[in-house]
Amino acid sequence: MGEIRAARVVPLLRRFGPLLVVVAMFLSSVLVAQYQKAPPDFGGSYSFPTPTHPEPRGTWVRALDVAMLAAGLGIGAWLVLKRRSRNGVLLLSVASVAYFGFYRKGCTCPIGAIQNVTATLVDPSYTISFGVIAFFFLPLAATLLFGRVFCGGVCPLGAVQDLVLVKPVKVPVGLDRVLQWLPYVYLGFAVLFAGWGLHVLVGGWPIDVGRRFIICEWDPFVALFRVSGAFHMLAIGGGFILAGMFVGRPYCRWLCPYGGILALLSRVAWKNVRITPDKEVDCGLCADACPFGAIKDLRADRGHCLACARCYDSCPYEIERRGGPSAEVQIARLVRP
Amino acid sequence: MIERSTRRQFIDRTCRLAGFVTLGGAAGLLARRASASAVYQVDPLKCTSCDLCRTSCVLSLSAVKAVNDFAKCGYCMLCPAYMDVTSMPDEKGVPAGRVCPQDALKRRVVGTVDPDDPNNNYYEYVIDEARCDGCGKCVKACLPPAGNGSLRLEIRYDRCVECNECAIQTACPDQAIVRVDVPGLSPKGHDVTHG
Repeated sequence: MGEIRAARVVPLLRRFGPLLVVVAMFLSSVLVAQYQKAPPDFGGSYSFPTPTHPEPRGTWVRALDVAMLAAGLGIGAWLVLKRRSRNGVLLLSVASVAYFGFYRKGCTCPIGAIQNVTATLVDPSYTISFGVIAFFFLPLAATLLFGRVFCGGVCPLGAVQDLVLVKPVKVPVGLDRVLQWLPYVYLGFAVLFAGWGLHVLVGGWPIDVGRRFIICEWDPFVALFRVSGAFHMLAIGGGFILAGMFVGRPYCRWLCPYGGILALLSRVAWKNVRITPDKEVDCGLCADACPFGAIKDLRADRGHCLACARCYDSCPYEIERRGGPSAEVQIARLVRP
Repeated sequence: MIERSTRRQFIDRTCRLAGFVTLGGAAGLLARRASASAVYQVDPLKCTSCDLCRTSCVLSLSAVKAVNDFAKCGYCMLCPAYMDVTSMPDEKGVPAGRVCPQDALKRRVVGTVDPDDPNNNYYEYVIDEARCDGCGKCVKACLPPAGNGSLRLEIRYDRCVECNECAIQTACPDQAIVRVDVPGLSPKGHDVTHG
């Protein structure tokens, strides 16, 4: 008897079960909905608060970023090539770390803009903003004119490394030369990931990484500028700062993909840092003063000079030009034991 | 010597000119597809409040926050986004558990207060932006039919640093982070910021 009843109930459940579920859901929603009330009239004393929506930065504030970059490049070129003033470049570095680093928190940056440009060229649906275009092209054009003045004191990443450089050690020339290829490897990977991602089979194991901006993800300094970020990024940033105290600008010279592009353009620049523009004594003090090994045979290496103006600060003729003792006196002092 | 130096100068000049032409051409090509003020925003129709906004923003405290649209809010006593409706009730019969792990959703009683029956009162729900981390638990809980759907996640431009690429956009499984030209409007034209 029980079996027969069960045999009847099961097909019934199968037919009406879903309906029961729907009815149950409807009932429960009705039960909850009884607490819902249309926004009531609370009387005269209550006014509905309006949700605040902070406006995005206005167009003129965005334009200000570009203007600051252009001004920085212009001032940098003037300070390095015309004034030959290390102190001026130092001030510019502090200003750029303050504005582009801590105030703008490292965004937008020309180094990362490589990826936006790649993504725009590869993917037609990608939107790029005028600001990013300006940030990508302004330093490139400035480098074709005046050498790497962007690296010198405008780039906040370069500037922060330059400011912590207290006791530079000389890196062996051979090692330096090998490491100088790393930026191009990094550039290749950055373009690959920004445009396409990586989809390959390695020994049967699929590696499937979508498009991503690895330069931004692995930027060692933005976490410091934001005083916020994953622990490993803060640690890497701290590591670079520590290393940067004794090795001149490790990120700029051996990793920065934008620096790699600028090194190529700087070779054919209209004006560059020159050793020394007026007179020289072949004393080699400039080569000793250069923390980046960018003075070879007493001539500035046009590709790798980072336009920091330290060489001018050490030059006897430059000191004389600024009203110091005459170059001959200075050299005599050096030669005398 | 003079000849060599001029040849060098000629090569430099040619390369420089080629460089400027290439840069100008590339900049022009890109500028044709550029937008003046594109900003990131959450498309509420695609957002599923998955918690990735909280974890993937480059800032430790995400730039995404919950926003309450007061015109839609029911001012309910039993707010499913405020209290965990499955938790044990307290002595007044109101569920004791809270939805927000950050205690960022605050409520205060408004209008004429009936001290005896909490059910008879209206409550205003305000988000404490200093605490909200954009996890979206309240947004999920407020979805109809349980709630009115007055809460939603929104990128707050006072915090957003406008990264070259939005890390949340990369992580979002629903493609809900969109670039909007006019702040406040999604690409399809529906209002993002005002309900």
